Amino acid sequence: MKRLVGIFVRGLVAENPLLMLMIGLCSALAVTTSVENAIGMGLAMTFVIVFAELVISLFRKLIPNSVRIPTFIIVIAAFTTIIDLSMKAYFPELSKSLGVFIPLIVVNCIIMGRVEAFASKEKPLDAVVDALGMGLGYTWVLVGIAAFRELLGNGTLLSAQIMPEAYQPILFFTLPPGGFLVFALFISFNIWLKRVLDRSDRAPVKEAA
Amino acid sequence: MKETLKLGLVLAAFAAGACVALALVYTVTGPTIEGHEIKQLEMSLKELFPAADSFRALDGDVAPKDGSVKFDQTYEVTRAGAPLGVAIKVRGSSYGGDTTMLVGVGTDRRITGVKVLDIKDTPGLGANAKSPTYFVDKSTKTTFPGQFAGKPLSDPFEVKKDVVAITASTITSKALTNMVKQAGIAAAEYLERSAQGGK
Repeated sequence: MKRLVGIFVRGLVAENPLLMLMIGLCSALAVTTSVENAIGMGLAMTFVIVFAELVISLFRKLIPNSVRIPTFIIVIAAFTTIIDLSMKAYFPELSKSLGVFIPLIVVNCIIMGRVEAFASKEKPLDAVVDALGMGLGYTWVLVGIAAFRELLGNGTLLSAQIMPEAYQPILFFTLPPGGFLVFALFISFNIWLKRVLDRSDRAPVKEAA
Repeated sequence: MKETLKLGLVLAAFAAGACVALALVYTVTGPTIEGHEIKQLEMSLKELFPAADSFRALDGDVAPKDGSVKFDQTYEVTRAGAPLGVAIKVRGSSYGGDTTMLVGVGTDRRITGVKVLDIKDTPGLGANAKSPTYFVDKSTKTTFPGQFAGKPLSDPFEVKKDVVAITASTITSKALTNMVKQAGIAAAEYLERSAQGGK
């Protein structure tokens, strides 16, 4: 159990796909102009990574090493299309505003990376837990960046007006350069968070010694 | 050789599995997606022609005068069989790429309304063309596409003359205005033809 919690938490901070591994950035920067988009994108991505890791981990002994990459892509593409079609049918507005970034989950390096590095070697349960950690690690960063950018760049949160009417939105945050700046702030925040966590991890060890 | 065959079979098995899963999902979601698209289009058409009760797609009867725009689809709008006008889904290129708009032209040679369906221009600047809360005239709460409603086709359709531009987005404003103009010209021609043909 403790091992599973460890696998899960790793994706949130210590090995956060966006802030530590720094993969899958282009979609992350593009969709974070509004919190709604960020939540949608994060959940869609979590869905795909969980099922892709589960399926590949289940069949890991049947996948020949030399064709593993094409096999992974078939599995990932299938789940991506499933979520794309479902969103189009049941959340048409959200699907419209995310546009091409949902189909592009197929080539998201986070999924490919975790499937290759983790799911193809580990047991299904571990793989699912790892996927959940990575997926939520991706989602929280997306939502955080989006909240920052939407609030300052547009004066709203989840499309509700938060800032007073007189507030002049700082356009910079909605535009790509603002995205990079906020992203950098999140990286430094995460490094700080990791250090704090590491310290609290080490403290009890010292006492024992 | 045997090894290659085995690899091929494994891949084929995975592909087949994926196909089955996708076919299932597609069958379930397909009708809903199509329903959304039709409903959305009808709602947009209704916005331009509130009085209309039927829309008929015209194929190839209406074509743009120059190559700057394309017409994705054209609809003849009628009420109880009498023509009200023509609605054209125009595609043109703006600052950020392809933009689509729905332009309605009434039988009285006036624009009945314009609706921006999809625009990829800069958020906060050109994309304001689609925003329902961006006004080119704050006192009357007129949006950028809103200013075309009721505009006679005999107007010059020139930005900064008879069309108010979106602040700091001249390219967007010009591109969209040209799309409305081209749709207007083509629609007027079609209406003229069908009126004569009717007589």
